[in-house]
Amino acid sequence: MQNSLAFAAALAIGLSALATAWAQGRIGPAAAAALSEKPELTTTAIILIAIPETMVIMGFVVAVLILRGTG
Amino acid sequence: MIVRMTRVRVAGPRVLLDRTLGVLQDAAVVHVTRPALPETGIGPYDRERRSLRRILEDDETALRLLGAGLPLPRRGVPELSLPRAAALARRTRRRAERIARAISDLEDERVVLLRYQEFVSAFRPLLESELAWPDGRAFYVVLRAGARRAVQRLREHLEVTVDGQVEVLSRPLASGETAVLILSSAEAGVRVAQLLGAARVQELPAPEGLGETSLLRALPRLPLRLEEVARAITAREAERRSLRDAVLDDLESLRAWLHDRLLIVDARGQAHAGRHLFVIEGWMPESELSRLAALVLRELGPDVMVEAVVTETSGRSDAAVELANPPLFRPFEVITRMLPLPRYGTIDPTPVVAVFFPMFVGLMLGDVGMGLLVAALAVTLRLRSKPRSTLRAVSSMAGACAAFAVVFGLLFGELFGDLGSRVFGMRPLGFDRQNAIVPFLALSVAIGVVHVLLGLTLAVVNAWRTGHRREAVGRGVAASMVALTVLAVLAAVRLIPRALFTPAVVALLVAFPCLVLLEGVLAVIDLLSNFGQILSYARIMALGTASLMLAVVANRMVGAMGSALIGVLFALLFHVVNFVIGLFSPTIHALRLHYVEFFGRFFSAGGTAYRPLSHWHPSYPGS
Repeated sequence: MQNSLAFAAALAIGLSALATAWAQGRIGPAAAAALSEKPELTTTAIILIAIPETMVIMGFVVAVLILRGTG
Repeated sequence: MIVRMTRVRVAGPRVLLDRTLGVLQDAAVVHVTRPALPETGIGPYDRERRSLRRILEDDETALRLLGAGLPLPRRGVPELSLPRAAALARRTRRRAERIARAISDLEDERVVLLRYQEFVSAFRPLLESELAWPDGRAFYVVLRAGARRAVQRLREHLEVTVDGQVEVLSRPLASGETAVLILSSAEAGVRVAQLLGAARVQELPAPEGLGETSLLRALPRLPLRLEEVARAITAREAERRSLRDAVLDDLESLRAWLHDRLLIVDARGQAHAGRHLFVIEGWMPESELSRLAALVLRELGPDVMVEAVVTETSGRSDAAVELANPPLFRPFEVITRMLPLPRYGTIDPTPVVAVFFPMFVGLMLGDVGMGLLVAALAVTLRLRSKPRSTLRAVSSMAGACAAFAVVFGLLFGELFGDLGSRVFGMRPLGFDRQNAIVPFLALSVAIGVVHVLLGLTLAVVNAWRTGHRREAVGRGVAASMVALTVLAVLAAVRLIPRALFTPAVVALLVAFPCLVLLEGVLAVIDLLSNFGQILSYARIMALGTASLMLAVVANRMVGAMGSALIGVLFALLFHVVNFVIGLFSPTIHALRLHYVEFFGRFFSAGGTAYRPLSHWHPSYPGS
């Protein structure tokens, strides 16, 4: 049971981290290209890059809750 | 907050237009806009603008070439008449260009001579014996850095081509290049030259300034020429300095005057000017109106009239926007200004940002040690920044974040993670983040509820102030539904009396159709997105816990690495990494929580920045 829960927590954080990495890997170069032409878009670029981090953060929260649920 | 503006109209006889604009420039309060009057066909003064710009270009080019440094703010009152000042600018520009060109040529020659000197010193003994070898011929080649291996290939090719009547010598130069000296007999020299030409290897000719075709014959003159060049450069620099000292004041004054004059011409283009009368309109702070009226009366007499045009808030939607916050909140305007300015009549969120931004960063850092490090960084930035600069504002924000980080660090009992509790017996005054993860999560989401509800409330105020009453009521219903849902959830988990659950659900059922009627079906999606936004505040807990865990891991390295010294070094390295992450990550996520979750509820961008007609300053937009 403990092992399954640990595996579930690892999946929660691992898969969401992969998804975030994939999304940021797509957004990052596009944002860098946009900034090279329009530096005034810095704020927008920061926001766009930070948005996918919600996934891994939620994954982290879920993983913690799964592990805490085991007592 | 956004400064309260009034639309002002200044009207008078046409002959007083320029003098009136001069007085408005002195007052520096009116953001000139085009009045809603038909065009007169007079203007738009392109010829004068072109002429002023041409003189300004001469002036600024001359100042740049003379190395005048950063422009100084000064009132533009040239002592010379405009034609004489223009002639001075033109003359000085030409002379400065001549001097700059001469210095540039001399610098180029010096670089080339130094290169030859390097080459010559590599082969000095051989070159000195060249004269004793009248039938031979020498070729001088410099290969680029990394092409040293080409020497061997070159040697092999040449030996095969001229049947051994050649000697190839090479020396590495300090620049990484390779100096190659090729010696051949006179008859083989022609074929060597052909081969070098075919291989596109350029021979180093004797420097032009020495007047010799042979490097060897030019050799004795090389140091002399270098000295001559250095002396010539010094003389030209002295000439430039003396020219700068002679004309600097006049050119600086002329530049300021020309910029001022161009601002007047631009403002004149915005004015409505007929054959007999002119009308200037613009936006200005309401509190300055009486001062401006008194100034115009004193300077121009009763012929020029100043009056407020629109007083209703609804008629000011296109007014220029100027943010004015108390000194404590002012640094946080940087965060607001990173987005387009809010529209006039809406809310400036800076005061709210000034409270919540450092609080969020402090909650995420939540460590006395990290807080003190950020405070040290803030002090350093403050000492190295100029007053009213962005860096100074950043230092103030960092100071506020550091204060919150220290306070939350004391509440969580953290000093570089669990180092405080392990070494100094530090105890949390609130709760221990390491163990109380769920309460920390609940606190983060609760802050999210407050922040999002505050955003929705500001949306109600915004809609009401801009005259959109129906939208205001709709937003109010949405805010109430969010609050009721939170109440129902709290009652369901018995954090508040269970008796409140049913009334909250009934109120929700009543509010739902009202929301759809007022805002349409899409408002339901917007309502649901509010809950997603609230959950997004869980990142405060996630980042805070991650930062704490990194610090704890760093501390445990001291005992886990076998050697205490290596353990301490690794622990320090981890703490440094954690601090660097702690500087960026909480800042970016606190910004995101504001821009997306909070501003997204109410912020209405699109305001025009308030730029009053004033005297030119080096920091003036577009300078």
